[in-house]
Amino acid sequence: MVQVNETKRFLRFKFIKRGSLQYISHLDLVRTMHKVIVRSKLPLWYTEGFNPKPKMIFAAPLSIGTESECEFMDIRMSEYIEPEEAMARINANMTSEMQIIEAYYPESKFTDLKWMSYRITLTPVEIDDELVLRSNQLLLADTVEVVKKNSDKTIDIRPLIKSANATRVGNSIVVDAILSADPSSFLNPEYIVKYLKEKGGLLSDPDLTSEHYEILRLKAYFADMTEFR
Amino acid sequence: MQNNNISSVLKSVSKPGRYIGGEFNSVIKNKDEVSCRFAFCFPDTYEIGMSNLGVRILYDVLNKDKDVWCERVYAPWTDMKEKMEEYNIPLCAVESGDSLDSFDMVAFSLQYEMCYTTVLAMLKLAGFPLWAKDRAEDCPIIIGGGPCVYNSEPVADFFDLINVGEGEEVLLEICHLYDKMKKDGSYTRSAFLRAASHIDGVYIPSLYEVSYNDDGTIKEYKPLYDDVPKKIKKRIIEDMDTASYPEKLVMPYIETVHDRIVLEVYRGCIRGCRFCQAGMVYRPVREKSVETLCKQAKCLYDNTGYDEISLISLSISDYSELPALTDSLLEWTDKSHVSLSLPSLRIDSFSDELMRKVSSVRTGGITFAPEAGTQRLRDVINKNVTEEDLMRSVGIAFRGGKSNVKLYFMNGLPTETDEDILGIAALAKKVVDQYYAMPKPERPKGLGVTVSVSCFVPKPFTPFQWEKQDTYSELMRKQELLKSAITDRRIKYAYHDAKVSFIEAVLARGDRRLAPAIAYLADKGQMLDAWDEFFNYDLWIEAFEKCGVDPDFYTSRGFGLDEVLPWDIIDVGVTKNFLLRERNKAYEGETTPSCAEHCSGCGANKLGGKNKWCK
Ligand code: SF4
Repeated sequence: MVQVNETKRFLRFKFIKRGSLQYISHLDLVRTMHKVIVRSKLPLWYTEGFNPKPKMIFAAPLSIGTESECEFMDIRMSEYIEPEEAMARINANMTSEMQIIEAYYPESKFTDLKWMSYRITLTPVEIDDELVLRSNQLLLADTVEVVKKNSDKTIDIRPLIKSANATRVGNSIVVDAILSADPSSFLNPEYIVKYLKEKGGLLSDPDLTSEHYEILRLKAYFADMTEFR
Repeated sequence: MQNNNISSVLKSVSKPGRYIGGEFNSVIKNKDEVSCRFAFCFPDTYEIGMSNLGVRILYDVLNKDKDVWCERVYAPWTDMKEKMEEYNIPLCAVESGDSLDSFDMVAFSLQYEMCYTTVLAMLKLAGFPLWAKDRAEDCPIIIGGGPCVYNSEPVADFFDLINVGEGEEVLLEICHLYDKMKKDGSYTRSAFLRAASHIDGVYIPSLYEVSYNDDGTIKEYKPLYDDVPKKIKKRIIEDMDTASYPEKLVMPYIETVHDRIVLEVYRGCIRGCRFCQAGMVYRPVREKSVETLCKQAKCLYDNTGYDEISLISLSISDYSELPALTDSLLEWTDKSHVSLSLPSLRIDSFSDELMRKVSSVRTGGITFAPEAGTQRLRDVINKNVTEEDLMRSVGIAFRGGKSNVKLYFMNGLPTETDEDILGIAALAKKVVDQYYAMPKPERPKGLGVTVSVSCFVPKPFTPFQWEKQDTYSELMRKQELLKSAITDRRIKYAYHDAKVSFIEAVLARGDRRLAPAIAYLADKGQMLDAWDEFFNYDLWIEAFEKCGVDPDFYTSRGFGLDEVLPWDIIDVGVTKNFLLRERNKAYEGETTPSCAEHCSGCGANKLGGKNKWCK
């Protein structure tokens, strides 16, 4: 048996969570992954004690309604396994909407992950260039005030936005944004939607499309804006 | 018309994960390559339906046939139902997302009477006529199955076909007949149903005429044609070792009620508790061998990754090879960090050894079901356990580190007196005393005793099938009496709403004249009655009044011993004579031994089946 040295205890997986799996909460994702890695027959390390569990750590939990091409989890192994081998086994045990796209023994910690980029697509009932312009002005404003979820406190999320700009693509407004992913100041991209919706008069359609927006997480970055890995 | 589907509203409903499908191990086939599309509907939420063992088994059996594609359908929660109605979204299957009108068969699993309004709500959401007689040629065949079909009469008029008994073989026979008739051109709805009535275990309600006496009792069930059977014989699987069992399970993304491997150890029950319908209608007992069970458990573990295996049957400790089974399972489960749970332990067979095996990885409480508070009443109901059994088991549980004990009882049982009710409080107190009798260092911390009391509902095919149900006010009086008798604050008292039990009793022994009342509720938008927050007693009473139903006729009246019963049309194996004998013994306070001790000649042996005990 190959001994696992300190730095190679955890194997990191980067995975996608697309399509209808955006409706799976973080808690359910953890539960699902637990079963996935067990049936993938990986050399898992288990916690000691009465109720042993494998050790899984996730970076920047995703909220319901957001798709992602950039999720990370670290899993502790009991012995060395080739990353490609582990990735292949896991992928055979998941559906196409959730697949590992990279596996490696990491050098970094999840606390080093500072920024994440998102693509937010809003589809209002009627669109004109005026609306796109207004969205951009709102995103560039000196203060970006939103009401915090589950409280009535107003906060300025400006410092948590690295960049954000809106363009028109067909009948939609596409916002590309890089937002804070630091655990202490994580910014949920839903706030951007909420902000544009309330201040920009977008998506006021009472019909089926009233909730029509999509959010996709694209990339993760270190503090110096190099890509996180 | 807008072409809307579920996915367009997922962002605006609670728990959207219920509706997405796409689970690992779910079966996708090419719809052009199958001859029968089968929609398996569960009239409750996804979380409940996904946990149902019967559905898991039948989904697997049907999909093993290359000509059949079985998909799953669940009831939407009320917020989703509103959206579906608002935006004209039809009910659809989880796998393909196709609406139910693209299916050949639409089957409902009827697990409890309180699901009936949900069945009708789902038929409405699918756009099908509620009444079987109103359905057009191209409407799918609507099938009912599950435990409620031992008296399906209250809902019989809504179904084209009812599957009586275990479905593994008969559902495939139905699909094959359908396929054959479609191919040779002989298919019409009525020709198919007529031909299906010749299959054992198939009941076609529309092929019988029911007449009533002046006093409201049933006069006769008359088959419309000579070739239609007078009685429908329950189907069983003869050999549990060769019967099909799933090798994989559909893996839900969201948490379900029983999110674990469920291993069915045997069918039937060797006991004969006189209130228990399951104990009678699933006879005879048919066990799986240890070898089969171990193979199935390992295979399911490999294909699911679950870390818990639950050994399921009506009374797990009655499995004749339980020590051998647990030993062989523990050989690998401990190493693989898999825990075993045994949810249906009997008080009289609980042992230190069993305790060690089950608690090796799990904490949590333990449940026992003495059912009645005095030995006299326990003898009446043939619950062959004694106070000593309970005290011994509770002692084992305490010594094994379990400090939470839950005790199940029933009130309103036949011959019950106030003394029996007070006996429940006394028994619970003795459990508390047993705890304090232990030396302090040996006691587990945090004693909690819960007394959970449900109301007796007389069920078809039990020795108590003729009994009166206590009136609502009498049940409430007894509940209050017990409440005042439980003075120890370490004992928690939980009781069921007697109103639900009353409606259950009406439906359990009801006949076809109840159907309009159930349809009335469905028209009012009622569904998910099994959920406290949606159960609407007043609306049920209103429905009965509007439809000329006297609920007391089915509850506190009691049924005459020589009366034609709505469920006489079904032959479950156990004979009426046996039930009558058992009823008489109940009134004498005489018990009946289990099948393992002595065969009492219940009649279930004539159904066949590989088993140890039937004479
Ligand atoms: S025939 Fe005898 S052994 Fe078989 S189920 Fe009936 S009572 Fe039990």
